[in-house]
Amino acid sequence: MAGSQNIGEASDNPVAINVTAMVDVIFCLCLFFMCSLHFKQLQGKIETWLPKDRGIFQGEASSLVKDEIAIVMRWDPTSRSTVSNIRFQKPAASEDELMLAVRAIADDYDRAGNTTYPLIIDAQPDVPWQDVVHIMDLCKRNNIQRIEFAAPERPIE
Amino acid sequence: MARKLQVQEEVSPNLIPMIDIMFLLLLFFMLSADMGQRELEEVVLPKALAVKEEKEEPGVRMNDKLVVNVFHRYDGEAKDCVPYKNAEVCREKKHWRIGIRGKDYTDLKKLEMQLKLEADPSRAAPMAKLSSGQKVPTSDRTVLVRADASAPYGFVQEVMNSCAKVGIYKLECGAARPPDSELKKAGG
Repeated sequence: MAGSQNIGEASDNPVAINVTAMVDVIFCLCLFFMCSLHFKQLQGKIETWLPKDRGIFQGEASSLVKDEIAIVMRWDPTSRSTVSNIRFQKPAASEDELMLAVRAIADDYDRAGNTTYPLIIDAQPDVPWQDVVHIMDLCKRNNIQRIEFAAPERPIE
Repeated sequence: MARKLQVQEEVSPNLIPMIDIMFLLLLFFMLSADMGQRELEEVVLPKALAVKEEKEEPGVRMNDKLVVNVFHRYDGEAKDCVPYKNAEVCREKKHWRIGIRGKDYTDLKKLEMQLKLEADPSRAAPMAKLSSGQKVPTSDRTVLVRADASAPYGFVQEVMNSCAKVGIYKLECGAARPPDSELKKAGG
C-alpha cells in the first residue's frame, strides 16, 4: 500500500524535511512582491527640440525669414479652458479647425519644397501641461514631426 | 477497536502542490515587479496617442538617459490639495517639485548645475563662459521631461529653460498611451 501514501510522508523519506520555515519565507516574499507590485505603465515620449539661439548663446538667430508654424496657447480664466490659435490668426473654435489651419500651412511649405519647418509651441506659463501635450499629440498625428518650444523672453541686459 | 485506531490516525496535509503554487506566484510577482522604474517619481503623465514607445536605442542605454520629473508633492499640506485631487491644474508653486533620480532639484540653480554636469560628457568641446560671447558646442544629451498632467506649463518651461542654458536642446516629453479599452471607446 505504499503507492497510496503521500510523497511527503515520513515512511518514504528517511530524512524528514521541515518545510514550514520555507513556506513561511515564501509567504513573506509573496506578500512583499504583492504589496510592492506596480504594473508598468504604458508610457512613451514625444520628441521635441529647444531653440539653439537661446540660453548660453547670445548671438542672433541664423535666419530672419521665419519658415515656421507657431501655435500660441493661453489660459482663459473665465471659460477655464485653453485658447489656441496660430500666431497672427484669430483663435480657433475647435481643435479640428486649428489642425486644419496648421495642415494648410504645412501643405504650403511642402509644395514649396521646404520640409524642415518647425512647429513652435508658444504657451503661457499658466496653461496646463496636459493641454500642451495634447496639441503636440495632435500635431504628431497630423505628420508634423518637428516640434519646438518657444523660449521665454530674454531679460533686458 | 481496530476501527477506532484508524480514525485516530494522523492526517498530514500534502504541502507540495501548495508550495508549487506559491513558487509560481512568487515567480510571477518577481518578474512583473517594475524595479527598474523605482527612480522615477509618481507622476500622472498626460495622455497622448502619438507616443513613441520607450525602446533601447543602439548606443544609448536606458540607464544613461537623464529623466527630469516634475511632480506634485505627496507630503505636508500638498497631500490635501483639492484641485490636484480633482485632476485640475494646481497652480500652487510650493506644491511642485523637480526631481532627478529621487533627489530634489526644485532650486533652479541646483538644477542647472546638475544639468551642466550631465551635459558635459556629451559635448564636443568644453563649454565657454557666458561673458565670452563665443559660440559653444551644444550637448547631444537627451533629457526626458516627465511632468504631471496637472502641472502648469510654467514649471516645465523652467526645466526647459535650464536645459537651454547648459546647451541641451534635445528634449523628450513623457506621455502615457491610453489603454486600448479607452481607445476603442473614443473610436466608437
